Amino acid sequence: MKRIAVFGYSIMSLEVIKQLNEEHYSYVFIVKNEAEALLVAEQGFDTKIIDFRNDEAIKSVGIGENIDILFCFYPKDSDNVFLTISARALDNELTIIAIVDDPESAEKLLAAGANKIIDPYEICGRKTHDMLAKPDITDVLDNTVFGRHDLHIAQIEIPTNSSLEQTKTSALLLAGTYNLILIGVVDKVSGDNLHFVMDEKEHTLNIGDVLVVLGPARDIKAFKEEIEAVTAA
Amino acid sequence: MLTQLILALVTFQQHSPTYKKTKRFFYHLLEDPDSRLKSRFDKVMIVSVLFSVFLLIDEVDTPASSFERMFEHVLIALFIFEYLLRAWLYNDIHHIILTHHAKALYLNHPMQWGKVAKIIITQKVAHILTPLAIIDLLAILPSFRSLTLFRALLIFRLFKLFRYFKSLRLFAEVLESKRFELYTLAVFLSFLIFIGSIGIYLFEHAANGQQVRNLFDAVYWSIVTVTSVGYGDIAPQTTGGRLVAIGLILTGFGVLSFLISIIVSAVNDKMHSLRENSIYAELKHYKSFVIICGFGRVGQHIAKQLEKHNQHFIIIDNNKINAINARRLGYLVIHADASKNDVLINAGIKQKASAVLCTTGDDVVNVYITLTSRYLNSSIRIISRANNPQNVKKLYQAGADNVIQPFEIAALVVAQYIGKPVAFEAILGVIREEKQFIMETLPVCAGSMIDGITIAELDFDGRKLMLIGVVSANPTHRKHKNSYALKNQHFYFNPPPFFVLRTGDLLVVLGREIGIAYFREQLKNSRPKESKR
Repeated sequence: MKRIAVFGYSIMSLEVIKQLNEEHYSYVFIVKNEAEALLVAEQGFDTKIIDFRNDEAIKSVGIGENIDILFCFYPKDSDNVFLTISARALDNELTIIAIVDDPESAEKLLAAGANKIIDPYEICGRKTHDMLAKPDITDVLDNTVFGRHDLHIAQIEIPTNSSLEQTKTSALLLAGTYNLILIGVVDKVSGDNLHFVMDEKEHTLNIGDVLVVLGPARDIKAFKEEIEAVTAA
Repeated sequence: MLTQLILALVTFQQHSPTYKKTKRFFYHLLEDPDSRLKSRFDKVMIVSVLFSVFLLIDEVDTPASSFERMFEHVLIALFIFEYLLRAWLYNDIHHIILTHHAKALYLNHPMQWGKVAKIIITQKVAHILTPLAIIDLLAILPSFRSLTLFRALLIFRLFKLFRYFKSLRLFAEVLESKRFELYTLAVFLSFLIFIGSIGIYLFEHAANGQQVRNLFDAVYWSIVTVTSVGYGDIAPQTTGGRLVAIGLILTGFGVLSFLISIIVSAVNDKMHSLRENSIYAELKHYKSFVIICGFGRVGQHIAKQLEKHNQHFIIIDNNKINAINARRLGYLVIHADASKNDVLINAGIKQKASAVLCTTGDDVVNVYITLTSRYLNSSIRIISRANNPQNVKKLYQAGADNVIQPFEIAALVVAQYIGKPVAFEAILGVIREEKQFIMETLPVCAGSMIDGITIAELDFDGRKLMLIGVVSANPTHRKHKNSYALKNQHFYFNPPPFFVLRTGDLLVVLGREIGIAYFREQLKNSRPKESKR
């Protein structure tokens, strides 16, 4: 289970937690005052009142120790930049996700060490355009992959000693065997870029490569378990 | 007998589609400000008028050639025809007659033909006396070369250009709107010139009789002085005359400043509506466009996306700063309240607008705009922004097709990003066509090459495409597993090879743009001719 530290109480932070699967994540909410702490505690989350400007206080939350993901959701960009810099200095491996109010601050947050910048208005604008430009596709994806239905997009890493090592992507036949559609492969050697399987070049799988698949949660789980079982055997 | 004949004729006009079509055609040609036909006709007339004026000037020194005479005859015929057509278009005589006839029948009174004729003549005379109709008539007269006086009327042919140049017409309208101020100024100016003329005549005629010989010289000097032209051909010699000159020069500055301020303020007053009119005219040239209500943060991003994808749009925002920002970016903007019916109607909600986006930061305003838009157009696509989750349902109730919540969507992005960043970025890239691969829907049309065949027969691998699923409302597909309910239809994920495609199904495919376009073309060409249309 991954542990997430959420700095800043807002609609955004509550929405994110609502979207995440509670079985896989635990949270600690960092709030400014008692009133906010009471509101968050009512919703069943751990809360802490600290001053984010103080490194010792940040450490006390678990950053640099047991926190895997940090949400910088303060309304002011300057606060998020300061928090990002402080947290990155404490933990180089931490995944930092920050929201941005002024688009100009995005680059500053990236420079400060954030992994992902979220501009709610930009995302909303793009989403509206997607709805206009491709209503059928967005409707399908919103109702399935991003919606209430049990269809997911997942990343599955080829583990060490996997039987899939040196297998060609065309030989996987995931659609017929596992009811999964293989979208593409992230080649560990060539970086984080996704190579789509319909591409001219056939890819041979190696340990550490990541398969990006689309399918029902149960089938994804079954496929993952089978890979791991084969590996263990 | 004559009454019956007239009534039969006007009834025929009232019901004849050919008559109506003909009149509509000439209306579009001559009067409809938004018609392309009129725009082309105006251009032809501008060139013809300028050319004819050039020929008439040329005739002053050289005798007219046969071509010039023929051109003049054709042009005059065209002018006369146009003049008569405009008089015909001005009102519907048959409508007046039929209205009075119906009234007479209802009241059981005899038809008062004299009264009807008076109304018709009064209306036609009112048209004839309009400034532009007078100019039209005067533009025809210079062709009667036997009358030297008529040649002087050549200038009116140039005035005719007022009809064809929109900007000239607008300037005339601007002056018309300040008629009272200009009239006041003209009275004051006349008074000033009168006093100046009398003053200079009294002081200068006796002492400087060579220059100020009569009252006309005095009036001429006053006008030249008050307008700050000052040729210097007449210069006051006496102290009294010079005092009059000083007075006229000083008041002349005031009059000129007043005149300029009147024109500037009139243009300024009119500028807003002029700009809006030009926007509406531009919108009418588009095949379709999107109306964005609210140019806040979300509206700005939508506009950026639409611009990037070369899609037309119009922004309506009541906030002056937002409107200025949008204008600065070169977008079409109407600075008005989007919840007003006339604003949305003028923006084309009932015509070529394909969607309305309610993106203001205020949910109350968004609900109101959504409701207004749905009331004005029951079939238009409406996407509304909800800032508070509690208002989502209200927006749907108001008529929105889709409701977007900035923080919910952003939260979804965060949630999807955690744990599977590459996969999520990839799927977003595919939707937004930022990658080499795109996701598209392809319809199964009746009679096309894929109608009634199985997925296995389609050979997606050979086409280098990937079938993600099929969207369908066809109940025969219900037996298949992996079915996900959408609005009024189902999405069949990873359909089996024996899945038979039916008319109306939508294939959701992933592939290179070129591969999808080629397959789409094949599907289109395989359709029977009638369905292609």
